[in-house]
Amino acid sequence: MTGILDYSNVTKDYGPPWSRRRVRALDSFTLSLERGEIFGFLGPNGAGKTTAIHLALGFMRPSSGTGRLLGKPFGDAATRARVGFLAENAALYHRPAAKLLRFYGALNGLRPERLRLRCREVLQQVELEMEAHRNVARFSRGMQQRIGLAQALINDPELLILDEPTSALDPLARVTMRELLLEANRAGKTIFLSSHLLSEIELICHRVAILNKGRIIKVGNTAELLVSRDRCEIVARGVPANSFEQAQLGDGRVKFSVAAQQQRNALEKVWALGGEVISVNPAHRTLEEVFVELTNQGAGA
Amino acid sequence: MKPVWLIATNFLREHRWPVLILFAWIALTALGAAGFGRQRVAPDDVVFYLQQQTIYICVVTAFLAADAIHNERKSRRILLVLSKAVSRGQYLLAIVTGASVMAAADALLFGLCGVWLTARAALPSSPVWSMTVMVLAGAVIAATVSLFFSTFLNPYFAAAVALSLFCAPAALHTPGHTWAEWWPGFALLVDVLRFQFHAGWKLDWMAVAVAGFESALFWALAAAVFRRRDVAVPVE
Repeated sequence: MTGILDYSNVTKDYGPPWSRRRVRALDSFTLSLERGEIFGFLGPNGAGKTTAIHLALGFMRPSSGTGRLLGKPFGDAATRARVGFLAENAALYHRPAAKLLRFYGALNGLRPERLRLRCREVLQQVELEMEAHRNVARFSRGMQQRIGLAQALINDPELLILDEPTSALDPLARVTMRELLLEANRAGKTIFLSSHLLSEIELICHRVAILNKGRIIKVGNTAELLVSRDRCEIVARGVPANSFEQAQLGDGRVKFSVAAQQQRNALEKVWALGGEVISVNPAHRTLEEVFVELTNQGAGA
Repeated sequence: MKPVWLIATNFLREHRWPVLILFAWIALTALGAAGFGRQRVAPDDVVFYLQQQTIYICVVTAFLAADAIHNERKSRRILLVLSKAVSRGQYLLAIVTGASVMAAADALLFGLCGVWLTARAALPSSPVWSMTVMVLAGAVIAATVSLFFSTFLNPYFAAAVALSLFCAPAALHTPGHTWAEWWPGFALLVDVLRFQFHAGWKLDWMAVAVAGFESALFWALAAAVFRRRDVAVPVE
């Protein structure tokens, strides 16, 4: 285990061992995050995403297995000073925004001078510097979520752990949040992002893991995961578009996709029609297609 | 120790209304005991006032301390606090500190009201300050013991168990035994109930010291239990 966040064969059960209602939330979960990446953590409701995050932060203990956060075992308080965390629907104390940020920053041991500076910086980052003295109880859900992110950033963490940070946000606020995360990553922070919003993950994550029923069913580079090994995409010219199913015509070119085993036949058909093949590439899928396919496979298994 | 103080002040801030209500209760009952300043106060009324307020302050502090973890878990605010560089032991120490500061403020007001009443009853005021020390020691151990039980029990049940625990030697009819003096809070309780304004009663520093030691012990036990608890599991 050498990553910034490592889980090694972690299992987590809820409920006492003798209970019939005992639930296995994570099952032999192994994962390693590399420094500097944005890692997307996907899964349907109840897949175990939040449990995995809570284990890393020491809110609960694994039933078996071990894990390390920034090289220290899960639950080490001093290590958490180097981590920023935003909970799903973060519950905040009802205080003015700046005071609240100073409270959370001071809990991480920031000195008053540095705390004042960081407070100004993060309020600017989340575009709430004008609301610094307003009580967060009067904030909209989106503003509260941004303050939640600000408190996670206050200690300039090496690792940001975000549990559904955009779940309650409108589309504009989501764009702002996405930009904030990309900016944080450019500043060198590793981001562990759990979300239902597949389009978000697809846009910003370097790697993703898909979790279902407490088990990882897929982990890999986002770009590679979106490449289909079953289908290929062919671009040709000089052939009528209606010669191939669901072909798209544009700029004098015909673009269509076929199953991988039909590739040779399709290419021969293009040549037989007097056309020219411009490119043959693996077809691209959306993360949503990959996710649905994998979780359905998992459900069927 | 800064995180401990920050969480403690936050605890006080979150409980400002119960604290203010208790302040008002202490002051109003003192006024009531003095007939709202219109009459001379009987010595027995002063004794009753001091004993009654001592018990109230300890009971209220026990309930507020027992409810602290439960409230924070229910509101999910505990997650952001414990995601910082704060250990479970520090978190509990902060609650005990907050409850102790609250008890100290209550004890001070209690002392001032007691001195005012003794002046109106032509009684010596020094025993009131001895009682103030006992109030503080009693409230701190009540808070710590109920906090310990609240790490694994429902908060109201935890407070009730803690308060019952203090009285257990009396229920077992063994108050004179040596072990009863070491029983959490019991020696303080006996001293409070025996309080009188005559020369025979004086502050039992041993009982106060034992309560202080046992408070530290229960905090350590609470931290050991709380370290193993899942704080993210929703509570109802």
